[in-house]
Amino acid sequence: MLNAESYIEITPASVVRNGQPIAVSETGDRMLVELYRRYAGDYPKFFKMDTLCRLGFIAAEILLKEPTANSQQPTAIIMANRSASIKNDTDYLATISDGNYYPSPSLFVYTLPNIVTGEIAIRHHIQGETAFYILDTPEQLETIVKSQKSKTQSPEPILCGWVECSAANEFYAKLQIIWNN
Amino acid sequence: MEQLIDQLKAQIIEALNFEDMSPADIDPDAKLFGEGLGLDSIDALELIMLMDREYGIKLTDPKAGKAIFQSVRTMAEYIQANRTK
Amino acid sequence: MVYCIGHSIISPLGEGSQANFDAVQAGRTGLKIHTDRFADVEPFCASLFDTPQSFVPLCIKSVEQALVYGSLSMVRSSDTIFILSTTKGDNLDLWTSAQAIARHFCNTNPPVVVSNACTSGVCAQITAQRLLEAGMYRQAVVIGCDLQTRFIVSGFQSFKALSPEPCLPFSPDRKGLNLGEAAATIIYSQQPIANSQQPFWTLETGSIHNDANHISAPSRTGEGAYQCLTDVMDGVTPDEIALIGVHGTATPYNDAMEQTAIERAGLQNVPKNMLKPFFGHTMGAAGVLETILCMKEAERQKTQKPIHVIKMLSGFGGVNAAIRLKSEY
Repeated sequence: MLNAESYIEITPASVVRNGQPIAVSETGDRMLVELYRRYAGDYPKFFKMDTLCRLGFIAAEILLKEPTANSQQPTAIIMANRSASIKNDTDYLATISDGNYYPSPSLFVYTLPNIVTGEIAIRHHIQGETAFYILDTPEQLETIVKSQKSKTQSPEPILCGWVECSAANEFYAKLQIIWNN
Repeated sequence: MEQLIDQLKAQIIEALNFEDMSPADIDPDAKLFGEGLGLDSIDALELIMLMDREYGIKLTDPKAGKAIFQSVRTMAEYIQANRTK
Repeated sequence: MVYCIGHSIISPLGEGSQANFDAVQAGRTGLKIHTDRFADVEPFCASLFDTPQSFVPLCIKSVEQALVYGSLSMVRSSDTIFILSTTKGDNLDLWTSAQAIARHFCNTNPPVVVSNACTSGVCAQITAQRLLEAGMYRQAVVIGCDLQTRFIVSGFQSFKALSPEPCLPFSPDRKGLNLGEAAATIIYSQQPIANSQQPFWTLETGSIHNDANHISAPSRTGEGAYQCLTDVMDGVTPDEIALIGVHGTATPYNDAMEQTAIERAGLQNVPKNMLKPFFGHTMGAAGVLETILCMKEAERQKTQKPIHVIKMLSGFGGVNAAIRLKSEY
């Protein structure tokens, strides 16, 4: 287990930050909207995002709301999941169905899971490394993050974690801020 | 024309995911790009798709779009003149 | 650094890195206008296999062609990791495809799939270098592959990003990109091949930076690309670089952004290697395929030794990546 300074875990009905639950009244995608209004509220682009990006965006937003121990912004974002952008792929496919062919560019752009790292980078002005992997387990991500830290020897924190979404009401995210130690 | 403008406003809100907006919030003469609604390049492409899907208008030259997409009213005027649906 | 111990390319221009390099030298292109490959899609210009391919078998063949005789035991070893660079694979379950490829070679390590948009092929090589230098593995089989589908072509058409003709990277007349499909493999190792008479290539360094500007449009100042170039130039000077393998998609903004980044990094006098007029944009395969051909082009030039080449890419999500490789005898 990598040494995480702080972490957040989100399921369709719960949010836990550093072991403390955050009260929510909605579930699923509506819960993400509720969290957006509470923790951000100033970023209309949120509503253009697909559920996977909303999930990652909100997790990062809450996690980065409070300053880290050394008040430093993460300088890299490394994330992974098992199912890529499957929910949004399905949504995009609906716009190119037989007899109803009107491909939507705003849905197409979200058919790449790494877009969530881009949305977080834009929001928090992070011009460091962003990367997305498709892996079988979160443990595989730990190996990759360890090799990144070993190579870059950067003293600055990185934001990493698992963001999975297969439907508007089926998702899971666990994001952490990791220090080099 | 006014009816088309109202319909267009609702379609734009839905196509561009303006969750916190109602048709009454959109000034038909306000700039869509730049200041005003602040649409970006992906929004412009979605509007091109909207013209095709709802009104049967195919815009092949993105540059021609600049004049058409100045405001909701200029869009409505172009649709009125060129719609095939 | 890590050593390149094998590579291969399979594309509409032929099988084998040498065959593909020869085709480029002869000015042959895989680009053609396709009018009825996919339903509803408007005619598009792309480099596609004459016979539609299956993703997993194509990747397997690509790896087989990259292996030198007697190294089947190497790919089976628990010291070897498979890394797949692809944007859409052949179905939506990318990891299962990667596992099927690894399993074919009796490798039981869970493979890694890099999904960093069009920079995936370079990011996969950077990932390989890190895993090897951290001592976690001794060899990495890096496969880049993408096949064009109605899904992908329709999406790029909705972005009005495609040129109806063969693309013209960095030209004032450029009208957009062409799509392509290919499979390419590079095998990296902690150790060079013993007693090799050939020049060997090493992956020296790599860098990934996000523009933090827009999810589908590049930064006008080429910020992320510039930072990548600066990083990989650490320790070398522009006159030591034999060529830059640019991304060169021939969209108005991408090429302008790359030129800006290259100038900011002081690399404007380094020859550009532009491959998309021959192969189209092969997405997840691009970073691997184009790196191999940069190596082949530098070998052909024999201008000086050691030779350095840079490969750079950008992709959706604001991501930019670059690597520098060195050749020595």
